[in-house]
Amino acid sequence: MKYQSPKERVLPYLFSVPAIILILASISILLFVGTGGVLAINWEMVSKSVLKGGIFEPIVGTLYLLSGTMAISLPIGVLTAVYLVEYAPKGRTNRIITQAMNNLAGVPSIVFGLFGYSFFCRFLGFGISLLSGWLTLTCMVLPIVIRGSQEAIRMVPKTFREAAEALGASKWRAIRDLVLTTAAPGIATSTILGISRVAGETAAILFTSSVFLMRGLPSTPFDPVMVLTYHIYVLLVTSPSPVLDRVFAMALILLGLVVVLNILAYVVRLYYRKRKRW
Amino acid sequence: MVKLTRNSFFSFKFKDRIEITLLIVSFLSVLILSLITIFLFYEGAPAFMEIGTFNLLFGDNWAPFYGRYGAAPLIYGSIMIVVGSLVISIPLGVIAAIFFAEFIPRWLGDLIKPFIELLAAIPSIIFGFFGLAVLSPIISDLFGLALGKTAFTASIVLSIMVVPTIVSISSEVISSVPNDYKRASIALGATHWQTLKNVVLPTAKLGIVASILLAFGRAIGETVAVLMVSGAVAKIPVPFWNYFKPVQTITGSIALDMGEVPFGSTHYHALFGLGIVLFVITFVFNTISDYVMRKAPTAEVQI
Repeated sequence: MKYQSPKERVLPYLFSVPAIILILASISILLFVGTGGVLAINWEMVSKSVLKGGIFEPIVGTLYLLSGTMAISLPIGVLTAVYLVEYAPKGRTNRIITQAMNNLAGVPSIVFGLFGYSFFCRFLGFGISLLSGWLTLTCMVLPIVIRGSQEAIRMVPKTFREAAEALGASKWRAIRDLVLTTAAPGIATSTILGISRVAGETAAILFTSSVFLMRGLPSTPFDPVMVLTYHIYVLLVTSPSPVLDRVFAMALILLGLVVVLNILAYVVRLYYRKRKRW
Repeated sequence: MVKLTRNSFFSFKFKDRIEITLLIVSFLSVLILSLITIFLFYEGAPAFMEIGTFNLLFGDNWAPFYGRYGAAPLIYGSIMIVVGSLVISIPLGVIAAIFFAEFIPRWLGDLIKPFIELLAAIPSIIFGFFGLAVLSPIISDLFGLALGKTAFTASIVLSIMVVPTIVSISSEVISSVPNDYKRASIALGATHWQTLKNVVLPTAKLGIVASILLAFGRAIGETVAVLMVSGAVAKIPVPFWNYFKPVQTITGSIALDMGEVPFGSTHYHALFGLGIVLFVITFVFNTISDYVMRKAPTAEVQI
């Protein structure tokens, strides 16, 4: 099948150059943040308040932002996917929703930030707050969660549903008890990828949810929050000669989080692809 | 008998209620998109009226704190950086995609690809940090510039950020070219390279174009990393093809100014006006990309 003339033997080597460049770029960023971060980070810094030169609040604030966003977007995303796959697999409704979702996926994150500011912070009066951040980021990750869940639900064999319905289960029972549990690993994968996207997001929360300095952690959803990305951003962009120690430490935690989440998503996908029970 | 009918009637009702609930939840995506459109235009339209559409889009002086709202330098800056980044990322991405799809076994590709997909997952703030701390000193040394924050630096950073889009979609598209096509070509005596050049790539062409359009849409919306390494000077470089000058982008000025503008001022509306410009550009490119992808012979590949 792969007939190559003698001259063409060099092609694979020639064509490997861009791939190698990209892998080197990827590795050099990992090494840059990895070595810088490991040299800078220590337990004292991680556990100390920002007001005393630590990075405790941004770390926990990022987790606050992540958990709230996923708590809102996961049910919406999964239910939308169920509707699209199970109830309206084709037709006009499906087309409209899919089209809206595709367009939403292409909206730049800074535009989500503008929208979040004018709608959630101003129009609904939530102000610069954790809640505004959750809602803005939900708008942003919804397409990721919907698409991933859609794909996972589509992978569940049709016979499963037929078997359940033959046993007298209603359509919804079959979906809830069988289709969703079978699709759970796939949904988990897309959720993890969504979380990773939220963790690294800066532009959308720039003026909807975060502040550079505040005392302690937010106590209600109506308080603003300090997060890693925004803290790094302010340190690097607004101060003329930033102290890089804290930047490196925060970058390491952020990158570590994102890399771990992506590896997790990859492993979940591989593991379940191998042990499919049907 | 009666009981049975009633039962099935209720179960029908119940099913209906679930379906309606799901339908309402599903329409949230549509609602969000409409709200985004409405609020962008609600906040941005005054800018077009107060400043004038022509002045806003083509005026060449962006100095909002002095009441000058000509966004041409920003729009030009965005285009310059995006074009620069595509010039780098198209050859890199397409060749890498061909490499993955045609030259190495699938298992090896599966092993290496995560490193490239990782590039898509790395937060943009970290790209910005890398560009600021590593790349821009190198570039200022290499080309003898006073400051390493230039359109060129931003193009490089951006190209690394968008290349995974091109690689992953293009390699899917290239792999999905039917094996029969290749077999037919090889049976006619064509070599691997001839088959690739004359059969595989022409079949995959539209899909590759779609991936590039999608990358364009991503690139023009990128904010933080570009802002950090582009130098943030809202002036069209002289001469205009000079990539070693600092520039400012649409996204960059929204991000920088939004925090400090008074609510409801002309400047505030102007930033939303820029948001509209951005929204429209990405919308157009994503729609074209979607359309091209569906026209392509390899249409079953999902973007």
